[in-house]
Amino acid sequence: MVSIPPVLLIAFPLFFAFLAPLINMVSKKAVKPYTLFVLLLNTLFASIIFLNVSSGGVIYEQLSGFYPPIGILLSVGYLGAILALLINLLSPIVYISYFGDAKNSVKFSMLYMLVTASSTGIVITGDLFNMFVFFEITAVGSYGLVASMRTKKAFEGAFKYIVLGSVGSAFILLGIATIYGYLKTLNFYDIALRISSMPPTARLMAFIFLIIGIGVEAEIFPLNGWVPDAYEGSSHRVASFLSLGPSKAGIYAIARLLFTLIPIMGGFELALLLGLLTLIIGELAALKQKEIKRMLAYSSIGQMGLILVAFSMDSRMAFVAAIFLMISHAMAKSLLFLGTRNYTVGSLKNPFVSVPIFIGVLSIIGMPPFPGFWGKWYLMVDMASQGFWTIILLVILAAIVEAVYYARFLFKGTGTEKSEGISKSEMTAIVILALLLVLVGLFPQYIYAPAVNAASSFLGGGP
Amino acid sequence: MTYELLEPIFIISTALIAIGLYGVMSKKNILKIILSLGLLDTGVNILIVAMGYIPGGTAPIENGNYSLYMDPVPQALVLTAIVIGVSVTALALAVAMGYYKKTGTIELDKEGVMKW
Repeated sequence: MVSIPPVLLIAFPLFFAFLAPLINMVSKKAVKPYTLFVLLLNTLFASIIFLNVSSGGVIYEQLSGFYPPIGILLSVGYLGAILALLINLLSPIVYISYFGDAKNSVKFSMLYMLVTASSTGIVITGDLFNMFVFFEITAVGSYGLVASMRTKKAFEGAFKYIVLGSVGSAFILLGIATIYGYLKTLNFYDIALRISSMPPTARLMAFIFLIIGIGVEAEIFPLNGWVPDAYEGSSHRVASFLSLGPSKAGIYAIARLLFTLIPIMGGFELALLLGLLTLIIGELAALKQKEIKRMLAYSSIGQMGLILVAFSMDSRMAFVAAIFLMISHAMAKSLLFLGTRNYTVGSLKNPFVSVPIFIGVLSIIGMPPFPGFWGKWYLMVDMASQGFWTIILLVILAAIVEAVYYARFLFKGTGTEKSEGISKSEMTAIVILALLLVLVGLFPQYIYAPAVNAASSFLGGGP
Repeated sequence: MTYELLEPIFIISTALIAIGLYGVMSKKNILKIILSLGLLDTGVNILIVAMGYIPGGTAPIENGNYSLYMDPVPQALVLTAIVIGVSVTALALAVAMGYYKKTGTIELDKEGVMKW
């Protein structure tokens, strides 16, 4: 079997992104097919790396000619491989929806490739500072994408995102500084080896700084106030992309810190608390919304909270549940953002729009046989076996609230929009996403096996 | 380690971080918020550089004449962080321009950025 160095997953789209203006000078029409080609190439690389990791274990790659812990290390673990494949598989599908658009902006395509590359970078890096740099690339790219609509709401959302993102990055730096000050290393595995020599209070402080900072991208309380405004202001395509790439990379980073850096001293309790807060606030706020994009954005916040709750259970089954929830959220939320641009009850007449939307909603609220069901089911089973009845009750209440506002949306539509209709390319994208949801839901065993490997590896403090 | 020497630096950087956070959370004027972000970044950067300080050390350039160096890693980190900070500030100003062109004001409506 061919093996591919993981660095290509980052280097290729970065290189091609900055080549895009040249392509644009030669032929304006070529930019969209060119971007799609680059994204599909990355999908191919990610699939090969995923297969290599599932058969041969973790892939390490040392960069820049220095040996770790001084040099930068890339490490593609099981979870990293699953998420790299998820991000790189879904990003071309969402990009397909751009083909029917009359607008043809080379900047949009560049930023799209850039954010895909850097989100992938977050999930495959083995170095804390490297992760920070990828976070910043993701964030700056996303600011640009959000502002690209150039309306008042877009600028407002983007500005809020920039401010909270910068505050978050300052917190990440403080966390990195705390860890570096005690351990003099930035390599995750080196940190994991020597974390016990760090005083518990300093460890907890570093974790609080890092979880607050990364929580901006991962849409975790308290710095997630940008989410509804930015999603409302950005185009439906950008909202769809943000919910599949950067947010998944962010929650991965939190999981990575949770299991590698802070194995004891209140880290899991803190994460559980933040997760529950995010879940409950997000779902309750979603219930009040009249505007569809804001509702979906708050629902996103709730879902990310649920994923964090699953990670903070610190058990194998809940970890598998978190992976299913991430897959469900990435596919279903990007589908809903794309499909609901002009959703009224009237658009139900078109089965290529209504059926995918129904599938997406069913997966989000956790109905069988979709990935969201498997995620919630595994989580419930695990929490019941550990006896966390209060948390189960809260999660079920949140799920009921979720079901209520999604049902209201399905049966009443949103009623405020002028109907421009949905383009053929958008329809193609949502049909593919719905098919993927059905496939993962019907054959969960193909995700389950690598997910269990990921859980064993992460719970042991490994990659 | 003579951290006593560094105490003024820690106080200054913590104060800068606190002022920056306060400004971001309480102001509604976009330019004031961007300035506060700059203060916040500066505070964090000073703190990190100070962490790599070794009393009596020189710049981390190896030439055989000196044996005591500053820790080069925090300096490299801060260099990266400064570049990122500058580009984010530029982007924030660009967005502020766009906001001003659309609305004719540089005041955020509602209660500033912390509003849900």
